[in-house]
Formats: sequence, C-alpha cells, structure tokens
Amino acid sequence: MIIAEKKPIEEVIEMVKDFRKILIVGCNECVTVCEAGGKREVAVLASSLRMYFMNQGKDTQIDEVTLERQCDREYLEEIRNRIEQYDVVISLACGVGVQFLAETYSRFPVYPGVNTCFMGVTEERGVWSERCQGCGQCILGSTGGICPISRCAKRLLNGPCGGSTKGKCEISKDLDCAWQLIIDRLKELDRLDEYEQIAPIKDWSTERAGGPRRVVREDVRQ
Amino acid sequence: MTLQEKIAARKFVVLGEFEPPKGADFSPFIKNVNLARGRVDAFVVPEMANAVLKASSLGGCAFLEREGIEAVFQVCCRDRNRLALQADILSAGALGIKNIMAVLGVDISYGDHPHARSVNDLNLIELLDTISRLQNGKDLSGIELRHSPRFCVGSTVDISATGGLLDIELENIEKKVALGVEYFITNPVFDLHRFQQFIKRLGKEKAAVIPTVLLLKSAGMARYIDRNVKGISIPSEIIRRIQKAPDKPRECTQIAGETITYLKELGMAGVLISTVGWEDRLPQILNAAKL
Repeated sequence: MIIAEKKPIEEVIEMVKDFRKILIVGCNECVTVCEAGGKREVAVLASSLRMYFMNQGKDTQIDEVTLERQCDREYLEEIRNRIEQYDVVISLACGVGVQFLAETYSRFPVYPGVNTCFMGVTEERGVWSERCQGCGQCILGSTGGICPISRCAKRLLNGPCGGSTKGKCEISKDLDCAWQLIIDRLKELDRLDEYEQIAPIKDWSTERAGGPRRVVREDVRQ
Repeated sequence: MTLQEKIAARKFVVLGEFEPPKGADFSPFIKNVNLARGRVDAFVVPEMANAVLKASSLGGCAFLEREGIEAVFQVCCRDRNRLALQADILSAGALGIKNIMAVLGVDISYGDHPHARSVNDLNLIELLDTISRLQNGKDLSGIELRHSPRFCVGSTVDISATGGLLDIELENIEKKVALGVEYFITNPVFDLHRFQQFIKRLGKEKAAVIPTVLLLKSAGMARYIDRNVKGISIPSEIIRRIQKAPDKPRECTQIAGETITYLKELGMAGVLISTVGWEDRLPQILNAAKL
C-alpha cells in the first residue's frame, strides 16, 4: 500500500487560513490503514482547524467526508453536488488522490493534508517500511523475494557494498542490509548458486528515466 | 583578449563547438582545434550533447587548456548530482578553465544509453546558483572553500519559444543574469526573420546573445532537422539552395558564412559555429564569413 504521513497542522493552517468554507476529504484505502488520511484523521484535522479558527475569531465552516478511494473517478463523483458550497478542499489521500481530485474539480483549490512517502508494509501498528519503488521490472524472482532496489540504500544489484557490517547497512545500524537478507534467504531456499549469477546492468527506462509512466491494457479497455 | 573581456568590451566573439571523441583519443580533436587556432576566441566543448556518450567536456577542456587554448566548459544537470557537479566545477577552476556554461541536457531517452537513470538533482537555475556560490567561496552546504574558482558564466536561451513559453524564457534570462550569466547561446538559427523578432522582443541591451550557426551537410539533413528537431526551423529557400547547388558541401559552408555575416551586422554579441563532425571545415566557414 501507499504509506503517507500527516502534514504538521501549522503547514495545513498556512495553506487554508484565508478560506472560509473548507471541505476535508479523506480516503478509505491505504491512508486509512497507515492512519494518515482516513475518516478518523479527517475528524481530528477538522477539530484542530475549528479550534484554530475559533481562537482567531474567524467564522469558518469546516465539513468532512471520506470517500472509498480518491484514485477512481466513480468515487470522486460522489462529492460533485456538494463541492460547489466550498472555497477550498483539503485532501488527505496520497499524492495520487490529491491530483485526481484536483483534475476532476479543476476550478477548486485542492491542498494536500499528508506527505506521501512510499509503497510499503505495516510491520506493526505505527511502523511502516518501504518494500517497492515501482521500477517497472520486477527481479524479486531472482533475489529470494527481497527487493534490493527499494531496500538497499544504494539500490545495488549483484551483492552488497563494502559498507555492510554484521548484517546492517552503513547508513544506519537499525537498517538491515538488503543483500545480507537476500543471501540468507537464498541459503534457506538452497538457491545460493543463483547469487553467483551476475545480473545485467539495470534498465532504468521502465522506472522514472523514461518520464511519467502509463499502463494501457487493450484487453480490458472499454 | 579573453572571451570575458571581449564580451564586456562588446566586441564580436567567435566560438567554435567541438565535440570530444567517442573514444579515448583526443588527437583528432586537438588537430582540428589547431586548424582554427587564433581565429576563434574560445572552443565550446559540449557535455554529451543529445545524451550520446562521449568523452567529457572537462576532459576536452583540460586538453585545450594544456595547449594554451581558451575553452568553454559545459556542465549539465542530466547526468550528475550536486556533489559531482561541484567537484567538476572546482576541478575546472583548478585547471585554469576560464569559461563555464550551464545546460539542462536533453532527456536521456533521446541518446544512445536510453536505459540509464537520469539525475537532474539540480535544475538549470539551481546549477547557475551553485556556480555563483562556489565563486563566492562556499559550497552548497555553506562550507567555505580554500580557494574559489573564477569563471565567465554562460547559459542557453531557447529562441524557438512562443506564447507563454516565450514569456517564461524571457523571465529566465533576467533570473540568469541576476545569477551572474554574462552570455547566452541560442539554438541553431536559420530563420533570420524569426530570430530578429525574438531579439526585438528581448531587447538587444538585455543580454549578450550568441546565436548558434549550424553547418548543414546536405539538403536531406536540413529537411530532417526542419521536420524532426524541436526548436529549429529551416526555411525552404535554404533547402532548395542546397538541392540546386553543384557543390553541396561548399554551398553549406557558404550559407553558414552568410548567416554569420548577417548576425554580425545585426549587432549580436558573437556566434557559436557548430560543425557536428566536420570540424576541419571551420576555417572555410570563417573564410566565407570574412573572419
């Protein structure tokens, strides 16, 4: 899922302080799971903003709604009839949702309420970590299911760098060396001979090097 | 007189663009440079133009410096991060290279290594700011340098921009001048009427503009550029003129020479002559332009 973090309230206030009718739009998908932009976070942000405007003596209407997803047009359509009432929208979806909302309602100023961080997993409640960078050319089959592009600080292929010490990465002793994990996993799977095979130099054109990406599936296109 | 002194004194400058080799031998490069030695104020050494792998601009400039020839070192945003860019700029200063020119670089997908990862850590304005900061004695982290480099700084301007993009381009010229840019090199000029309109819009006094004069090699090349290369339009009269000429390479040299003469009479700060692989013809172009 996409992991996001709530923006500091001061930053959100700075963006919307001059508006009087504010709609906060949450998203029921990834940002709900990582507790950054779901229904509960929408309510918390709304309360904080109400308190701020009250202290400022400003009469500001702040309403809340949480959509199933903000990355699909059909759910964004659900607010079409009510969005006209507002001066501004704060979206607590990831950057994808914020943009799609802004594209759908291009006449309205849309501000982000979260910082979108990465594609990752919930290690435990309150701890999320990165697992994928969407490089467009998955090599997990040859690395024991551990991705060196997202988990090695230097995005190295073909083994660890000289900074790997006692299974930890040189940038932090709290960070596992991805290549140590890969070697351990391949050993466990009795596939260590695969580690000896040199991977070709990576083709980055499927990542961002080729510009913004698009997937077109003619078989499912309507 | 150095390039910087000539620009400041508003004397017409002649730059030659010489690509480094795709290989580890600079001797043909030096041989061609020597053919035009004394007739060109400085040689611009492109940094992997069109994202095609070549030896580096810094390498080429170091060779020129060793020969006592003034060079323009190109730094490019595409392939290096802020650390590598600063390292190269400091090295260029230490080598005695007097001129630097910042470029953004075309996208990596256009070149011969389309699978490479582009960097673009800094954009063009930020790179110019970096050069300015290094010249003022500090790196991008604010740490003091033991000796700061000194350059005559140049950049590019897109004369093909129209509408809103032209407004942005003109605004950027002001930003770049504020960051210490002393001259601007344009994309190749063929349509002189359109170029004049651009200069009129910019105002001649705003910046030292050095248009690029590209040596065509054939009518086919001209047609291809006109149809496929963004930012360059070639009037059909030029293409027809090459088609009809009995000695086509001579005609192309003549066209380049006439363009230079026209631009000089128009009061431009100078010209950059680009011969893309026909560097040994630079003296003939200079003859045709009576330079």
